[in-house]
Amino acid sequence: MSVAGSNVQTELTAPIAVASMTGGRRPGDVGDSTERVNRLEIVVRYALYIVITLFLFVPFVMTVLSSFKTSAEVIAFPPTLLPSVWHPENYLNVLTQISGFPRMVFNSFFVTLVVVALNLFFDSLVGYAFARLEFPFKNTLFAIMIATMVIPGFVFIVPRYIMLLNAHLVDTYFAFMVLYFLQPAYILLMTQFFKSIPRDLEEAAIVDGLGWFGIFWKIILPLARPALLATGILTFQGMWNNFLDWVIYMQSPTMQNIQLGLVSFRGQYQNQWNLIMAGSVLAILPILIIYVAGQKYFVGGAATSGMK
Amino acid sequence: MAVSVAPKASAATAKVNRRSKGGGMAIAQRRAGLLFVTPYILFFLLLQLAAFAFAIWVSFHHYDLLALDNPFVGLRNYARLTVNEDFLIALRNTTEYAVVVVILQTAFALLLAVLLNSKIKGRNFFRTTWYTPSVASSVVISMIFLYVYHPTGLLNSILGLVGIHTTEAYLQSTTWALPAIMFLNVWTTAPTFMLMFLAALQDIPKEIYEASSVDGASAARKLFSITIPLLRPIIFLVVSLGIIGAFQIFDQAFIMTKGGPLKATLTVALLIYDNLFVDTGAVGVACAEAIVLGIIIFALTLISRRVIDTKIEY
Repeated sequence: MSVAGSNVQTELTAPIAVASMTGGRRPGDVGDSTERVNRLEIVVRYALYIVITLFLFVPFVMTVLSSFKTSAEVIAFPPTLLPSVWHPENYLNVLTQISGFPRMVFNSFFVTLVVVALNLFFDSLVGYAFARLEFPFKNTLFAIMIATMVIPGFVFIVPRYIMLLNAHLVDTYFAFMVLYFLQPAYILLMTQFFKSIPRDLEEAAIVDGLGWFGIFWKIILPLARPALLATGILTFQGMWNNFLDWVIYMQSPTMQNIQLGLVSFRGQYQNQWNLIMAGSVLAILPILIIYVAGQKYFVGGAATSGMK
Repeated sequence: MAVSVAPKASAATAKVNRRSKGGGMAIAQRRAGLLFVTPYILFFLLLQLAAFAFAIWVSFHHYDLLALDNPFVGLRNYARLTVNEDFLIALRNTTEYAVVVVILQTAFALLLAVLLNSKIKGRNFFRTTWYTPSVASSVVISMIFLYVYHPTGLLNSILGLVGIHTTEAYLQSTTWALPAIMFLNVWTTAPTFMLMFLAALQDIPKEIYEASSVDGASAARKLFSITIPLLRPIIFLVVSLGIIGAFQIFDQAFIMTKGGPLKATLTVALLIYDNLFVDTGAVGVACAEAIVLGIIIFALTLISRRVIDTKIEY
């Protein structure tokens, strides 16, 4: 059935598209009119791409549109697509009606940014040592780090909770700084990056008498921008989106992040759909901006570190 | 520069100096290396090793956060799990959930990646929009799907458009609540793994496909006899990360259903949370549950490695 054409991969994927749309019929079955098959194939393929896009993206569009409706209109039957009257004041109401909303936004940003800063420093420092320096037990430590990455986090929740409780760190920002000051997945990412840069620069620096920390700080880190951005962006995503740790380690109402705040608000006002949707838009906005701006780091980092 | 101005006579001393300097540098390097990894050593010893040992210790005790004395009970916490109805329900739900989610999300992620790996106009647009569900937080996704699954929400509105009129309250139904959460998770996790598959697909040499095209292999055949076998290591990675994540399902069940209705979405992670915070005195049980969960995840990861990541030769 080999359809003439230079793009082999198109051939590879197109029939899957066709098969899944038509219930298993492959283009070859149509017979000899190759040209018509090609045109049909292109239409069907694009239809599939568009269906998938709608499937994965429409819920977000509807969330944004719903955030401008009245709460009754969000779940009205028959449904509306666009708000009959736009209510941008919903966003103002989120700020005033969700008690302590500004504090939640502060908590989210503060914890996220501090943890990002800690990870940029410690992940790259440890990553540099693993990539470049010779020291005792290096390979053992590296093997331990890789092996322990697959231990499910729930095993650690209870003991870490008790440990933090005894250290009086529960319900404080320090809980996150202790638990997340470094993350093995991003140490690994940094290690792999450092291994890829040539040694010449360091050798010149050694001759110049710069100490190892000086080399790391002045020579290596400026070169590590892409890996640092990937680490920073993915750490931002993880901390901004974090829900579980806030549920476990933070207990007072003033120590909620925006995610937890959204859940408590929904618990109190089940029917305020427009505000729940507006709050969701606000909660996703910072991470969405970072995603659109730093997409290539997202993509590269997520693919290499293998952790979300 | 420094070398060129150095007098020839001192070449020998320079050599000696360099050697001793080299030795000093090796020591300096070892010290710097150990110093630089100290943060990780502390992380490992305190937050992993000590925490793990402590988890095991707690699981052998009747542990109460408020009590001063926590008596040793041996394996009783583990033994109780085998007859604890809630735990058995949670384990069944979690396993059912994980099996369905891991299979579907891996297949869907692979499909998305294969589609994105073709030369199509607007590839970047599709990749950007398709990945969005993975950028959003579990809370936002849960809020969105509370609306999607509402009796007059998005899902039933769309079904209405195609002539299926229903006001099913999916999250209040013992039949639909768990599948609803499964669906949500496939939807939000598949795009993450899509990126990993995409990166791996781009590493497959095009010549392999070209050669098979010459041989007249069909596209479906290429997928199953070239792409998937070559992707085995990454499929294993995606499946094992999927197993680790799916068996710990917490956020969505906690936010959307609280384990209900009638424990239809009770998961092991929810039960651990309850035993830690709701029933005082069940902390030992919570640890035992977490360790059993960890063992199950570990065993399944090993099994999937055997099944998927077997060495193949060409």
